[in-house]
Order: sequence, then structure tokens, then C-alpha cells
Amino acid sequence: MYIIETQNLTKTYGDFTAVSRLNLHIRKGSVYGFLGPNGAGKSTTMKLFLGLTRPTDGSFQIDGKTYPLDRVSILKEVGSFIEAPAFYGNLTGEENLDIIRKILGLPKSCVDDALELVGLTEFRKRLAKKYSLGMKQRLGLAGALIGRPPILILDEPTNGLDPVGIHEIRTLIRSLPRKYDCTVLVSSHLLPEVELMADDIGILNHGRLLFEGTMEDLKRSAGTAGFPTDNLEDTFLAVIDEDNRRRGGAL
Amino acid sequence: MSLVIESRKLKRTGYLPAFLAGGALAAAFPVVYMMAKAEEMTSLSGNPLAILMSANWQMMAMLNVLVSICGACMMYHTEYADNGMQKMSALPVRQGNLFFGKFVIAALVLSAMVVLETAVLAGCAEYWFPGYVLDRAEAVKTAGFQIAVTLPTVMLMLVIASACRNMWISLGIGVILVFTLSVFPQDNEVLSLFPFASPYQTFAAAVENGRAPLFVTACGIETVLFGIVEVIYLKVRRWSA
Repeated sequence: MYIIETQNLTKTYGDFTAVSRLNLHIRKGSVYGFLGPNGAGKSTTMKLFLGLTRPTDGSFQIDGKTYPLDRVSILKEVGSFIEAPAFYGNLTGEENLDIIRKILGLPKSCVDDALELVGLTEFRKRLAKKYSLGMKQRLGLAGALIGRPPILILDEPTNGLDPVGIHEIRTLIRSLPRKYDCTVLVSSHLLPEVELMADDIGILNHGRLLFEGTMEDLKRSAGTAGFPTDNLEDTFLAVIDEDNRRRGGAL
Repeated sequence: MSLVIESRKLKRTGYLPAFLAGGALAAAFPVVYMMAKAEEMTSLSGNPLAILMSANWQMMAMLNVLVSICGACMMYHTEYADNGMQKMSALPVRQGNLFFGKFVIAALVLSAMVVLETAVLAGCAEYWFPGYVLDRAEAVKTAGFQIAVTLPTVMLMLVIASACRNMWISLGIGVILVFTLSVFPQDNEVLSLFPFASPYQTFAAAVENGRAPLFVTACGIETVLFGIVEVIYLKVRRWSA
């Protein structure tokens, strides 16, 4: 069963097509790794799911709900972290999460739970503007995880984190489907990270979905096409390179 | 709920202290004025409150408008500075409700300022004009009128601030509008109804010209109209993103 499904989802800005006829299928309870070079359309797709921008064409369903009819209802089920941490610098980490908690109508204990999940309990009373980049990133993640929503949309969640932080967040993301029965759509430039945490992957280039399936499917299909299959990074680069060559562009 | 959320966001922004300081400064103006010109003012015939309003309100209204401009800019600066607004857009809350929450807060603090200023004006009238007995109904009507004619300015300024990521742009637009529209002739029936011009009208003058109902009605319509403009703007911004 797919919890997120798109049908020919398209987004254009004037002459530029950011997302082109995208057909994604994200299984319930899975971690879906969204891969693609800069400008491939990953963030735009995630923004489309959150109703932050309107599709030019096509449609999508999240947990059986359709945009734009059920937008508010979709947002109640989705925890998100898009592009960069978003918060109020004049408030403490705890106060920032309390605002989100109030909007979502969650009990007060959810704030402590979210802070604990991302390891910010110790710094809960510190102003968010005084947080380090990694702490801001964690606060953004806590804002997505608060209330343990059934769907998480995370855009580059490990940006700015040190190796220990990356490991912690990766372990956390990896454990979410099993612990809280949630589905995670995560984009990352760190291909080894995606390899370690994703059940399924989707590779996007110039707005088009080049591959979708499990890691084994990718290895199989890459092997058939004569691409390297030793690690995800080499396979990914070969797939993108081939697509760019076919399109007549350079990598 | 929007009101509670919006008031929480203003914590540590200096919003309330700015309004308190602005209100205190505006309220001090008639006191200082009367200390300097008591003899001249008390020799004038007419309602003491109206005399004091006519002598001081231009400056007091300008301070009210400037503080309201700063308040609107502060409100949206906190939204844009660390992308707080982006997070709000991804939550199940209507952006329009958050905007109106901001407007209610701005209107409430403006009301508190005007009530304080009217109370000080009434106090000055009682202190410096022998035999003057304060008509409370008149004082309430005066404060209510001054609030009503300032609301379109507050609403329009919030609309401008919501559209500008850079606080200095909205602040600049606000200051330019203050000085542009304050030079409009106050006795011109149409121009004086414009936001940024209407706050300078006094209740006594409007009653004397029989234009008080016109001002209250027109400013009410303007306030609603700017609110509708914001709702449309928010929809357009979402669709065009």
C-alpha cells in the first residue's frame, strides 16, 4: 500500500520545468530516499506535498487524501523539514516547539518528547538564535517529529551536522518506521547515508524520475545497463551521467 | 488560538515596550505643552478637551502611527528573519488567521496607547482649566473615534509588512507614507479619509463638521477592505510560489 502516490506531477516556472510528469510510489512504513543533483526537483516535489507551491499539472494523494481539497488535513499528518531550519530566533527551543504543539493541538509532553528525540533537552531554555548550526538543524527536526506524525518529509536533514550528529539522526530516521509506524521521505546529498537508511530510493534528474525501487532493484537494473554497482554513489553518478548524455547536456 | 500564538511570537522582540514608550511619549506631549503654554491655552474659549486635542493631536497621532509602523515591521521581521513563517506555512493553520491575530494585537496595543493619551488629555483639561468637569462619555467617544480612524493605517501597514521580507523596505514605505499623506489638506473631504491621513482627524473637529459618522464608516470599510486584500494576497502568494 502506498501512503504517498503521485500521478504525472508537474511543476513549471515559466519555461523551466522543475518537476516533470513524476510518478512516485512511497510504501507505508518505509524510508524512501530521494536522490538527485542540485536543482533536480527534490525540494520542489516536497514543497508540492506540503502545499507550499501549486502543481502545474498532475495530482498526488497522501494517505488517501487529495491536494488541494484536503490540504489542512494532510498537514496534520505530515511533519516536515524543508531546505533550512525554520524557527523564531527570539524564542527558546522549547518555546518554538510549544508554538507548533499548540497549532497541532498536542499535549504538553510532546515538546519534551521531541527535544529528547533530537538530543536538545539540555539546551531547551537557550534562545534559538544562539544555537549552533547543528542545534538549529536538530530544532528543525524536532519541529517535524513533534507529536510523532505518521508521515515525515525531510529535506537534507543532516546538513550542518557533525559526523556524530549525522550518525545519530540517521539512526533515528532508520528507527522511526519500526518504533512509531511512520513513513519517511528523506532527501540527501550524502549518498552513503541514504544507502544506509533507505528501504526504497527514487533518483531524480532535471525533474524526471530516472529510477524508483529498492536498493537491490537499482543494483540489478544498473548491472543490466552496465553501470558500476559497488556502491550507491558510483551507480548514482553513472545513472545521472547517462541521463545527461542522453539529454545532450554535460554532467 | 491565533491570538495566543501571535502574542507568544512577540516575546523578547521589544514590541510591547516600544508601544509603552511610544504611548508614554505621546501622552507626555500635552503635559509639556500645557506647562509651556498654559496661559495662552486657558484663555481660549470652547471645550477644554477639544482645545487640547486641536493643539496636540497632530504630534500625538504621528507618534501613534510611527509606533504602529515599527510594530508591524517588528511583527513580520520575526516571521522572516529565521524562516518562522515558512514553518507556519507547512502547519495546519490558515495564514489569514495568523495575520488577523497580528492585527488584533496591533489594534489592542494601539487602543491602549490612545486610551492612555486621552486620559492624560482629560487630566490636563481638569488640572489646567478651572471649573472644567470631565464628561466621561465625551472622553470615551473621543478615544473610540481616534482608534477607529487609525485602524486602516494599522491594517494597511501590516499588509505592507507582510509583503516585504526586508524589514527596512516596509519601514521605509511606512515612513514615506506618513510624511506624504500628512501633508494632505486635512479639510479635504476625500483626502482626509485616506489611511495615514485619517489618524490626524480629531473627534471634536469631525463632530463640528458633521463628518464623524462618515469617518467612522469609511475607516471601517477601509479596514475590512485591506483585510480582504491581505487574504487575496496570501492566496496569490501561495499559488504563485
